[in-house]
Amino acid sequence: MSTHRNERIDEGLSKLIEYILPELEDEDEDEALKENALELAQGMIDSHVAPGCSDDPAHIANIIRNKLIRDNRTSDRALRFANLYSRLLTLPLIKQKGAILHLLHELSDSDAERETISRASNGVQSTAIDSRAPSRADINPDTSRRPSKVTVESNDEFDAVAPPKPFLAADRGDGKNEMTKAALLANINQPTEPSEVALLKDLPFTLQGVSSKNLTFTNENTLKLPPNLPIPLISLLHTLAEPALLYRSLSAFVEESDSAEGKSGLVNQSLSAAIGNELKAYLSLVAGLEGEIRRASSVLNDDDEHGLAMRKAGVTLRRCVIWTREATMGLRLMSAIVEASKEKKGGQLISIIHAFSTSHGDPFVFNFAKRLLTSVTRPFYDLLRRWVYDGELTDPYLEFFVIEQSEEAIAEANNDRRGYASSVWQDKYKLDSDMIPTIMTPEFANKVFLIGKSLNFIRYGCDDSEWVEKYSKTASKELSHDDYASLEQNIDEAYKTTMERLMHLMNKKFNLFEHLCALKKFLLLGQGDFIALLMESLSSNLDRPANTLYRHNLTAQLEHAIRGSNAQYESQEVLRRLDARMLELSHGEIGWDVFTLEYKIDAPVDVVVTPYSSREYLKVFNFLWRIKRVEFALGSAWKKYMTGARGVLGSVADKVGNDWKVARCCIAEMIHFVAQLQYYILFQVIEPSWEKLIASINKPNSTLDDLIDAHKLYLTSITRKGLLGGAARSRQPETSFLAQLHEILKTMLSYKDAMDGLYSCSVAEFTRRQAASALIQARTAAGKWGVTEADSPYELAGQLKKHGGRPTLGDSDSDSDDSDDETDEQLPVIRARLKKLTADFQARTGVLLGDLASQSDMDMRFLGVMFSFNDFYIIKRGKGKTVVERRSAQTGKGDETPS
Amino acid sequence: MSGRATPAAAGGNSAARQVIDILHEISTLLNTNLDRTTLSLCVSLIENGVNPEALAAVIKELRRESARLREDE
Repeated sequence: MSTHRNERIDEGLSKLIEYILPELEDEDEDEALKENALELAQGMIDSHVAPGCSDDPAHIANIIRNKLIRDNRTSDRALRFANLYSRLLTLPLIKQKGAILHLLHELSDSDAERETISRASNGVQSTAIDSRAPSRADINPDTSRRPSKVTVESNDEFDAVAPPKPFLAADRGDGKNEMTKAALLANINQPTEPSEVALLKDLPFTLQGVSSKNLTFTNENTLKLPPNLPIPLISLLHTLAEPALLYRSLSAFVEESDSAEGKSGLVNQSLSAAIGNELKAYLSLVAGLEGEIRRASSVLNDDDEHGLAMRKAGVTLRRCVIWTREATMGLRLMSAIVEASKEKKGGQLISIIHAFSTSHGDPFVFNFAKRLLTSVTRPFYDLLRRWVYDGELTDPYLEFFVIEQSEEAIAEANNDRRGYASSVWQDKYKLDSDMIPTIMTPEFANKVFLIGKSLNFIRYGCDDSEWVEKYSKTASKELSHDDYASLEQNIDEAYKTTMERLMHLMNKKFNLFEHLCALKKFLLLGQGDFIALLMESLSSNLDRPANTLYRHNLTAQLEHAIRGSNAQYESQEVLRRLDARMLELSHGEIGWDVFTLEYKIDAPVDVVVTPYSSREYLKVFNFLWRIKRVEFALGSAWKKYMTGARGVLGSVADKVGNDWKVARCCIAEMIHFVAQLQYYILFQVIEPSWEKLIASINKPNSTLDDLIDAHKLYLTSITRKGLLGGAARSRQPETSFLAQLHEILKTMLSYKDAMDGLYSCSVAEFTRRQAASALIQARTAAGKWGVTEADSPYELAGQLKKHGGRPTLGDSDSDSDDSDDETDEQLPVIRARLKKLTADFQARTGVLLGDLASQSDMDMRFLGVMFSFNDFYIIKRGKGKTVVERRSAQTGKGDETPS
Repeated sequence: MSGRATPAAAGGNSAARQVIDILHEISTLLNTNLDRTTLSLCVSLIENGVNPEALAAVIKELRRESARLREDE
């Protein structure tokens, strides 16, 4: 700055001093005072050499406007100011507009401030500064940084260059100008008891949670502050008490979990260890702080009651607050985690910390939680590794998201499901979705679960622990939280390898596919020649009462059927499992009811073909066997009648020919029915489901679970669509499709029996006629009358009819004679029975067709169409109402029917 | 007063007066308790490059001093 300028400044300053200070009477004193003042004023101004040229007039105007609005609550003054300001801007005369406005702003004081001044003994200075600082900070958050920084810098500079000295009057403590805020604070708050210096000395202890002279911990989480402290100090101490108290509680937590070692979970232990480490870092910070405080207090001399020297060294309570800020945040976070982690373990605990590290916007919290997470998850990843590579669950504290079921739990689960027998695959391990930490997605966790489960299954279920060990040796990798991408990749790899191995084992070693084929061939009657042969050879056995059956007979017949059919080319493995046995006997049943084929499935294939599904297979088999049996019976009956018609029956056609005609029609209807039913079940139900099953088995990357599901689906679709599952959906069990079909089949069998009766009647009639004509011939040969009076009129009538008389079926019944009682009484009974059974069958078929037509399933409706091809049954179908009526009439009739 | 009121540069009295008028009005709005003379002195000081904050401090100090001196009297 030029001397010229300086002179002008000096001149201006002296004028100012002269103007403001009053004239003193004593001229010397006056002169001295003014000179003194001038000197000091120069000093003050020199210390601010850096001109405030950075002051932007618009900025300072903004501050002033806001201040005016704030002070007056109305905007008229602010408007006036804005007006004046814009006028000022147009004037070219002055350059430092901003500076001048700044000066005016500095000197301004509002009414409120004036009041404060009048009350506070310590003058304008502090309040003016105080009111300025927040006003800037509050009003202009975006621009506040620059001016406040300038202020701080200038303050420091001022302190350093011109150490505080009394201005004019040396005896006044508050006489100095422009002090640091801390100094001002100290000035306002006259020496306190205990002094800030003493508090500072105690502070390191307090921060470590140790009681000291002034600051004592009265109990677990209370810090007692000394009384009579000024409010600002108390608030500072409050801030500082937070880390101290948090530290105390956290170290208590760490100690507690250390002493409880072995009881809490591994993740909890690692959490407490990680927190312990963080606390160590905190302690080292406190140690650094203590060093600072020591260094500062070493320059302290006794007479400095405000601790100004210490302040100069830069150590104040306020600064300590700043220093401990970050650590406090960390402690707070840990405390929050510890609070939240009570009663939590394993995965849940990790989830809590993970939530902090992902969902928190604060980068500090984020990084801190991440650091914590890395160490906390270590035991979890160890568990994961063992699970993924060894298939072993070593989880003594139940922290992993896979739970090994106890025996009782498995048994209980089985009871719950009634009939789903236990399976190693399904029940041994369970996925606990609550315990899945949020660091992994549910799909990922499921994958992990499958890997471990498969490995375990390979080891124990498939007796292939060799492979597992080899695999775990070669593939085992360190898993950690640091690199999630590679973790995912590793898991994927492990998943692929394990699944491939398992499927390989299932297909090659345990011949799963072969077993499924065999089940279809034998239990679902896929192998036609075998079944036909078996039925043929067994039929005579099975017609007898069930209690006369012997198992060795059955197995011998089975063996025979196998030998005689293409089934002999099946592998020994499959044939060994095939067995014929009887269901539990109940009184009065015949062989047909109790016979069953069985295909034995053992571990580990029973994972797919569970005992439950075996039972389903048996159910399907029994149903199919029954249909087959009816078909067989009807077929053999048909054969018999057809041969009979050419021989025996032809000769009695005059008497029972009509009956036979009707009966043959009816049996043809039945055969059609059975054939369609069989066709439907074999080709519409079983084959398409089988196709689907094959497709899903051959799908690449299919897992055992997929396989199990596919098989389950296969079986369900068979049982459901094969009309067997109709019961679950129909309203009453007796009207279910299965029951209806059973009734219809039963009717067929009775009909066949009745026809057998008719047949034997006809044969008896035939024999009698043979005998009669033989007698006549013998008599004729002997030269007597062929027919005598002693012969029965029936015979006569029969002979007459045979020789051209018109057959009148009814008229001969009444006058039958004793010797023909049996046949003649039987015939009408049989006729009535046949009629009734025909009606019964047709009615039942009608009901069934009505039900089928209203089915939602396309295939089932189509079955109905096939049954009544050419709309044969059109009358009986009708609308829902008529069907219902029919059924009620039907059930009424059915009760009376002897079956 | 008029003698003291013209320390500003020789840029025409009316213009200087206008400046001081406006600034005086602002200073009354802000309750600075500055009269025109002091104001013009300050303006000239600032135009010469004095830091406004320092100047404000000086003025405050002087005021306090004068108040004390008056009390003493």
